[in-house]
Amino acid sequence: MLSLRLARGAHPLVLLRRLLVALAAAGVGFLLLCSLGYAVAHPKATQESLVRLLWCAAPLAAVVQFALAVARNDPATRPRDGLDAIGLGPVRLSVLAATSTAIACTLGSAAALLVYLELRGNLGLTPLSGAASGLLDGRAALPWGAALTLLGLLPALSAGACAIALRPRKERAGGAPEATADGEAAPTTARAPRPSYAGLPWGVAIIACGLALEAYVGHGPAPAPNSLLALPGQEGGASPGLLGGWLLASLGLVLAGPGLTHWCGVLLSSGRPGATRLLAGRMLQDAATRIGRPLGVLCAVASGALAAVELYGAAWERSGPRPFGPLTGLGAAVVMACVTATAITAALDARQLRSDTASALHRLGVPASLLRGAAAVRSLVLLAVLAPLTWVIAELTALPLMR
Amino acid sequence: MVAPPDNDVLWARGLHYSYSGSPALTGVSIGVREGEILAVTGPRGSGKTTLLKCLSGQLLADPGEVWFNSAPVHTLSRGARERLRRERFGWIDSRPHLVPELTGWENAALPLLVRGTIHREAKRTATEWLERLDVGDCARKRPGALTQAQRQRVAIARALAADPTVVFADEPTAPLHQADRAQVLRTLTTAARSHQITVVLATLDEESTALADRTVTLVDGRRGGAIPAPDASEGEGRAACSVSA
Repeated sequence: MLSLRLARGAHPLVLLRRLLVALAAAGVGFLLLCSLGYAVAHPKATQESLVRLLWCAAPLAAVVQFALAVARNDPATRPRDGLDAIGLGPVRLSVLAATSTAIACTLGSAAALLVYLELRGNLGLTPLSGAASGLLDGRAALPWGAALTLLGLLPALSAGACAIALRPRKERAGGAPEATADGEAAPTTARAPRPSYAGLPWGVAIIACGLALEAYVGHGPAPAPNSLLALPGQEGGASPGLLGGWLLASLGLVLAGPGLTHWCGVLLSSGRPGATRLLAGRMLQDAATRIGRPLGVLCAVASGALAAVELYGAAWERSGPRPFGPLTGLGAAVVMACVTATAITAALDARQLRSDTASALHRLGVPASLLRGAAAVRSLVLLAVLAPLTWVIAELTALPLMR
Repeated sequence: MVAPPDNDVLWARGLHYSYSGSPALTGVSIGVREGEILAVTGPRGSGKTTLLKCLSGQLLADPGEVWFNSAPVHTLSRGARERLRRERFGWIDSRPHLVPELTGWENAALPLLVRGTIHREAKRTATEWLERLDVGDCARKRPGALTQAQRQRVAIARALAADPTVVFADEPTAPLHQADRAQVLRTLTTAARSHQITVVLATLDEESTALADRTVTLVDGRRGGAIPAPDASEGEGRAACSVSA
């Protein structure tokens, strides 16, 4: 009840973010229902059904990440002095965050179920009813148990992720109050917190492994046709090695994100910097973990999208068979929207955590234009470093797949 | 508008301010002489912070006049008031409010860097001030690795390093223990006296008023007691400190 009351008085932007989570959840729920409907309608094509279900994992993961970012940024779930004093401390508030996330995802899933049934023609409420009964295999009856299990997957996963990620860290006796003020994301348990750039060598190594695997598999003999995984829009499918290489390269980008952000900051504040460069660089170093990880995911997805454009770009122009069905398009849209929204949310989160510093600087007479300039310099440097890197990795991953 | 007396570096008349309806200042007039240390005392909620914010141009009194060096502050635009704070004023808060990403000397040098001082010069000045305030070994540490007293000293160095005309200190010793408190306050006043810096010090404890030249008491947003003539106020401050001793 408290979460509903807090939501009622919340800022419209916060409500909008919750609504976006619900929308994304609806998209994923719809995809899951579609894969279930396909499996029910084609009981013989087990492998194809399984591959469809597996492809739903990507949007699912993106939505869980987005829901987590929104819950972390939600002002209702930040520890507050007054609430802590009456016993609603960080522990209870993490439960509250998990509940709100579960509610948003459940609402989205329910909407997905309604839309799915309506489009299949099971409900017959609107003129649109049954509009897509062919695509959604409307003839076969939907097993309710399976449908509800699949729909319950996302709320359970995202609520669990929230509860785990936002649970209060172990309290340190005599911890520095300034250090704990910078949020739940900071690893406060470790005596010497792991530097954010520790993942960079791993990331680079994994990217290299992925590219090498792809090159190796691409050059090797063609694998047996029954071991191929279906890739949307390609008749023959792709070998698991190629897909594995692609996934490894993406994983590497995600791991390398914080480190890249950190070194961008170091680069920016090197030499004898003025105030703008100094503030921009140091803030980038400090927020490397918070911003770098979503940025890494964003880069990975962007490089995947670029590689897909490389692969299928020609097919779009032809008037022949379209490579992407509407469901693939929906999945890709959900992933890209979620990942972009997560990165934006993380940036807003970082900005909110800096608001104390910003007001202190304002008292000193530091003009707001200087802080805005620092933010602009930061984003420009990140763009200048990450965009070419993303493009290069996309080109390299697409190279063996083109053959 | 009446031009203020010439010997006051900062002068305010009839300051009123209310935070969305709740009055914080109701008609405060005050004059700060060049090079003096003026203590503003009063219980919590008596408007000390608001007075300091009005004097430093962070808040605009409505109505009320603030004059700095015989030039009006209350008619300046927001940007001009920011520049004034940047170039002529220093501000020490009750909490250090250092930038957590920057090291000690970078924090102290920040106002200089913002002004456009060259890097080497800013670093030299900041390091000198840190050493003068006994926190020279904190120059390369982040605020997270410092104790509260060290952080507060870095904040004082930040305010003083920019060579301000007036420093506003809003309960600068509030988060500190007694021993640190006296020491921090003494370093601040000594540094201010040796560099001819005017200090407006808002404080709760009696001890700090002993270090001031003059004391002004605020009660519920107005000057407490009889409003003294500028000449008589010296005696008032001294009297207050002798009572406390």
